[in-house]
Amino acid sequence: MMTPLSWLGLSLALYMVGALLSLLLCRNEALAIRVSGLLSLVGGIAGVIAALPVLLDGGVITADYAGPFAAFAHLTLRLDMLAAFMVLVISILVVVTSLYSFAYLQEYRGKGAWAMGFFMNLFIASMVALVAVDNAFYFIVLFEAMSLSSYFLVISEQDDEAVGAGLLYFFIAHAGSVLIMLGFFLLYRHAGSLDFAAFREAHLPVGEASAVFLLAFFGFGAKAGMLPLHGWLPRAHPAAPSHASALMSGVMVKIGIFGIIKVGIDLLGATEVWWGVVVLAFGAVSSVLGVLYALAEHDIKRLLAYHTVENIGIILMGVGAGMIGIATHHPLLALLGLLGGLYHLINHALFKGLLFLGAGAVIYRTHTKDMEQMGGLAKLMPRTAVAFLIGCMAISALPPLNGFVSEWFTYQSLFTMSHDGSVGLKLAGPAAIVMLAITGALAAMCFVKVYGICFCGAPRSEKAANAREVPFSMTSAMWLLAILCVLLGVGAAVVAPVITNIAAQLSHTSAIAMASGASVFPGDVTQTSLNTPLLFILLLALPLLPLIIYSVKGGSDRLRFTRRGTPWACGYGYEAKMALSAGSFAQPLRVLFAPLYRLRKTLDPAPMLQRSLAATTDAAAKVEPVWDEHLVLPVVSGVQRLSRLVQWIQYGDFRAYCLYVVAALVVLLIVTMA
Amino acid sequence: MMQNSLVLALIAGLLQAVLLMAVSPLLSGLSRVIRAKMHSRKGPGVLQEYRDIMKLLTRQEVAPSNCGGVFRVMPFVLLGTMLLVAMTLPLVTQVSPMAAGGDVITLLYLFAVFRFFFSLAGLDSGSTFAGIGASRELTLGILVEPILMLGLLVVALIVGSTNISNISSTLASQQWAAPTATAMALLACAFAVFIEMGKIPFDVAEAEQELQEGPLSEYSGAGLALVKWGISLKQVVVAGLFLAIFVPFGKADTLTVASLLLGTLAFVVKLVLVFVVAAVIENTLARGRFLLTGRVTWMGFGVAALAFMFYLTGL
Repeated sequence: MMTPLSWLGLSLALYMVGALLSLLLCRNEALAIRVSGLLSLVGGIAGVIAALPVLLDGGVITADYAGPFAAFAHLTLRLDMLAAFMVLVISILVVVTSLYSFAYLQEYRGKGAWAMGFFMNLFIASMVALVAVDNAFYFIVLFEAMSLSSYFLVISEQDDEAVGAGLLYFFIAHAGSVLIMLGFFLLYRHAGSLDFAAFREAHLPVGEASAVFLLAFFGFGAKAGMLPLHGWLPRAHPAAPSHASALMSGVMVKIGIFGIIKVGIDLLGATEVWWGVVVLAFGAVSSVLGVLYALAEHDIKRLLAYHTVENIGIILMGVGAGMIGIATHHPLLALLGLLGGLYHLINHALFKGLLFLGAGAVIYRTHTKDMEQMGGLAKLMPRTAVAFLIGCMAISALPPLNGFVSEWFTYQSLFTMSHDGSVGLKLAGPAAIVMLAITGALAAMCFVKVYGICFCGAPRSEKAANAREVPFSMTSAMWLLAILCVLLGVGAAVVAPVITNIAAQLSHTSAIAMASGASVFPGDVTQTSLNTPLLFILLLALPLLPLIIYSVKGGSDRLRFTRRGTPWACGYGYEAKMALSAGSFAQPLRVLFAPLYRLRKTLDPAPMLQRSLAATTDAAAKVEPVWDEHLVLPVVSGVQRLSRLVQWIQYGDFRAYCLYVVAALVVLLIVTMA
Repeated sequence: MMQNSLVLALIAGLLQAVLLMAVSPLLSGLSRVIRAKMHSRKGPGVLQEYRDIMKLLTRQEVAPSNCGGVFRVMPFVLLGTMLLVAMTLPLVTQVSPMAAGGDVITLLYLFAVFRFFFSLAGLDSGSTFAGIGASRELTLGILVEPILMLGLLVVALIVGSTNISNISSTLASQQWAAPTATAMALLACAFAVFIEMGKIPFDVAEAEQELQEGPLSEYSGAGLALVKWGISLKQVVVAGLFLAIFVPFGKADTLTVASLLLGTLAFVVKLVLVFVVAAVIENTLARGRFLLTGRVTWMGFGVAALAFMFYLTGL
């Protein structure tokens, strides 16, 4: 009988072995791909097994190990429900991406696939360990390990774009960890220990607690990619190989959210109302601007990366509402907000993982990230297309899929806040609701564009016309995620109570029933309810009615449906180039929201970072030669002057050399005679 | 007992949805008649839409050679989602026939399903016009969504519930707890509903050459019949949503035959009135430039924001 912690240890050990073996097998890449993929697959399954009992039974499991740095930091593992939830999310995605990597990494043979296996496993292991560890020192170390190993994944393409993106990512990630370290240091001063357990007991004065919260919020916010610290995300995530992008966008940014929850709620207890308001406000702005910028992209992976910014915003809105609920002692609001946020966290991991894997499958066959070069892939890659469509529908929050359910809970939490809160919150709630509504509509438009341009209509290039379905290991990975997207939507009544328990454990309240039978409701069934299985069945069943009309009325007289000819083009000859492009599809929005697009240019941290980096290297370049000029140079030039002085002795005339020999002879004779 | 009530609710909802679907071409026909009258044309009869649909249903469907599966399934999805919304609206009775789906947020997102597939089919056909139409349909959705959401939020806040049955019955019984706020919300939602019905100056839902109807341009035969029917149904459903929330008077509060009949009659009168008013407004306005729509919708959003301010001050 293994305990959850030993399963967790097993899963970590498997990742580490996978990483090492992949490194050792660098000569035999085919084997390295298989071994590292298989070990992380099994490790992911072990992680799921470790997380499930904790999630279902509740409670907290802790274990203390001495560790190598016992003098100042205990290696404490703490598997509470939030940690178990994160382990579950990471492990599910690891299972799927490992499955995917078997075929996908073949593309990278000879381009360092073994190194990818090494860094991937290291990256996963550091994330899993990070969520479970309960000590600030180890937390920071693992956080750095996660950032570094993912940095190597970002630069794996080795081209200018990837290296530039990696550098930007490196800087922002480290700026973030400096803030986090400062926050932990402030906590350490009060607690006198680096253990999170001591942090929880240290009751900081309000001012310092707020400082710690803000430091952690911006530090982790940089990792989460929230606006305005998002600049690295749309560059770094697309640069990595697709299965790594899936993990980075699906899971790694969630570590940022996890950190905000950990520090804001778990360690500091979310005592101030304005903390929650800050989280809510940054979330709302991130969501709207993230999706708006996504719409203007036509690199499919960059577009998906911008959507990560949007979804992080939605998650933060839920978390913010939850924090407000904790601070105002409104348990229902606390539970609803955290439920919405955490539910969206797992949902986003699933559908964003699915979409990145789908994008990877498309790129695997077409060898381009530019959507304008795709088109018509639904017929050539049907299995990928249907899975991708499910992902698009889920991320657009279409009922009854998972994205809708979590956004519905977020709406309900904001509604509760607008209804019960103080005047300020009554103003903030509806503002957030309206932003969430705009986000939803924009996301739907964006994914109509993605699916419509990539998979619908006619192929837009030679590459797309020659595409074919990807291997089974890739389609099965996508389908696993697609099925989970449907299940987490339809089975909301099963999932919601579990996440409510996590929220209850975090906010130290007793859980409120959020589901009965097949329907979910915001704490009170008479307020409103949502029955996703019924919606699902009806949405599948009701189209049958028009289908009956269609087939009965047509009867046997009507000729069969045919596909023939080209679309109508005002009487002119149709050309494939006439089909709408990704850019012109979003054109009305670029006109309507022009000021917000200009904002992106002015707020982009990348040019400023570039400039300050250039200034730093310039300054360093100026400082560096000072030693040379004042110490080394005089010596060198002295020696040179000396050698020029003695140069006249030997300028190549052999008569002169004869003279030297004679002179030397004479001198020697004189000396010996004397 | 639980099972029985669910089955009953499903049957009642289905009946309502099918009835709405059956009458929707009539209301589109009515709009056409009014337009013809205002243009001083003779125009077709009220039943013209039925004739069109019936004729088209017997015709072969020919699609461009490159179109895919989404193009094919869109008409069915379109009608399916609108039927689902039709099932949940409390049109004739105070409570929604199928309360399980009757959450306002869910309803708004069901409209998003409609829009999603409608536009996707436009892109799937590969036609330029269909593509631009798809883009515009979604842009309009983005402009309307905040107005509708905020307007509905105000009434939901007044009632303290986002369920359409609760909103409807409370507004009917409490004699409008916050009259000014409710009136402003009504105005804002009426504006949004007018746009959603696909009317000038934003749209001309029944003109094939218009870009707005672009996603339809490649449909033909039986498929076109279903899409036209779906759009008619959408207009009725959107009007019904508005009526169910803001004009809940005259609805049956008991489930007797007499009160149900009376409620149905009241609903028919209200629905016809909405369509007549919408048609008259539509035909007195000129078509605007699409890219300037944003300036008009700001006004609608302003009204909704005002409604919210009135709610905050308790008026």
